Amino acid sequence: MRYLVMECHLSYAVVLTEDGRFLRVANQHYTVGQTVWDVMEMQASPAVSKGRRKAKWIYPLAALAACFILAIAAVFQIDQRTYASVYLTINPEVRIDVNRKNLVVGLTGINPEGEGLIAGYSYRHQPLEAVMDDLVDRAIEMEYLHEGGRISLVLDAESDEWAIQQSDALTDQLRSHLEDKISVTIEVTNSNIQSNQIIIPVDPPQSSYGDDDYGDDIQPSPTPQPTAVSDSGYGDDDDGQTDYGLQADSGYGSSAYASQAPGGSGYGNSGWGDSDSDADSDSGYGGQSGYGGSDDDGSDDDSSDYDD
Amino acid sequence: MQNEHQIIGAVYAAKKDSQKADDLIRDYIPFIRSEASKCISRFCTEQDDAFSIAMMAFHEAILGYDGSRGAFLQYAAMLIRSRIIDYQRKEARHQGHISLYAEKNEGGPTILESLADTRDHMEESANRQATKQEIQELSAVMADFGVNFADAADHSPKQERTLDACSAAVQYAVENQALLEEMLRTKKLPLAKLALGAQVERKTLERHRKYILAMLLIQTNGYEILRSHVGSVLRRKGGKPV
Repeated sequence: MRYLVMECHLSYAVVLTEDGRFLRVANQHYTVGQTVWDVMEMQASPAVSKGRRKAKWIYPLAALAACFILAIAAVFQIDQRTYASVYLTINPEVRIDVNRKNLVVGLTGINPEGEGLIAGYSYRHQPLEAVMDDLVDRAIEMEYLHEGGRISLVLDAESDEWAIQQSDALTDQLRSHLEDKISVTIEVTNSNIQSNQIIIPVDPPQSSYGDDDYGDDIQPSPTPQPTAVSDSGYGDDDDGQTDYGLQADSGYGSSAYASQAPGGSGYGNSGWGDSDSDADSDSGYGGQSGYGGSDDDGSDDDSSDYDD
Repeated sequence: MQNEHQIIGAVYAAKKDSQKADDLIRDYIPFIRSEASKCISRFCTEQDDAFSIAMMAFHEAILGYDGSRGAFLQYAAMLIRSRIIDYQRKEARHQGHISLYAEKNEGGPTILESLADTRDHMEESANRQATKQEIQELSAVMADFGVNFADAADHSPKQERTLDACSAAVQYAVENQALLEEMLRTKKLPLAKLALGAQVERKTLERHRKYILAMLLIQTNGYEILRSHVGSVLRRKGGKPV
């Protein structure tokens, strides 16, 4: 490589290389215009040292930021981690994943109906109970869950404690949610322990009951109605009161019912709600003698329907 | 301690002003020579290559010195040592080869001289004179633009790719003489047109503005020797399909 000396200074010379670069080199007694073959290039440049100085404080800062981001991510990760799963099977089957705080972190349809059930449903940041209620409501809406249907819950968790605790809580929750709407069987299974089946008594298969007035009455105002109906039932059938307690204890088989009270068919229906909420029925019944009278119309309707 | 403060002040002033840098170096020539002598284990005269290297290393030390990282003179001494060692290693590669400038026998002609004396020394001297004149003219024109060769060296592209980009811009200007004329007339570098015409990032050209200016000035009329010296760049670029 030939270098053409362009400029000479006390401590260095500027040369022009053949490939068109200007270089600062050691001035080995060069003169301007001289061509040289071997040079000692000068290396340090102010720009380099400046860059280094800037980078110096950036590294710890970047490390700190990275640690911070990692910590934040870890916290969120823990929150998002699946702690337990609930398999909800009606006919649609869905898996609900929850985290330690019982917040839903995942919702998967296991069969096609299940996928249809959860399509367009947002479960983010909702507690397990709310999601279950919503899903059951949707199932009713989509006509997967009918009167007398069956809901199966399989709890899959690492800790048995959670499963045991939830199996009761979820059943109660679902039952209280559904009691105003339809009657179903809820079956809870813990994947670790053997299954325990909780049967919510299903109404006797009387054709007219569900279809007619009762259902109609219930739909527009679900909350007050059950009490009214139950009370009216009591009013209707005084004798039945002792029977009632018995029936509740005995588990209320539908067959038992049918045989026991052929005449007071109205009672059985209305009493249903009572068996779930004993306090209500008792206070309502014993305390307010006039109660039955006030709701006479309704009760009459009921009984007449049944007679049909 | 007071002395150290003075030196640091002088060094920081010299970083920006090459005249002050020269003054500082001149003041410290004894120091530089003593450091160089230590390295080569014999007395260092101003004719030694090691002395030139040491001078350059001292200048490097001025430019690269950072006050927060210690005393200046230690730093300069360290740089001088390492540069001289670098130089010695580089020279060591030539061991076993006979220099063309070596004398065949004591006091006799060098090998180079005896090989083939086809070159005309008078003409060479004249050439050097002509080259010097061209360079001086170029230097004067560059001064009009506020640029000197040291600036061009500082802004010279280091990477091959950057060099290619700059060469492409220069090549484009050579093909469009109007651009060069416009530059001479307005005393401004038509960067936008160059970037557009040569399909090069404007930012790249901006960073090497002073270098490109020098190269473009070389391509204007009147610098035949310089142009032929760097001609290979353009030929190389010209050979490629654009």
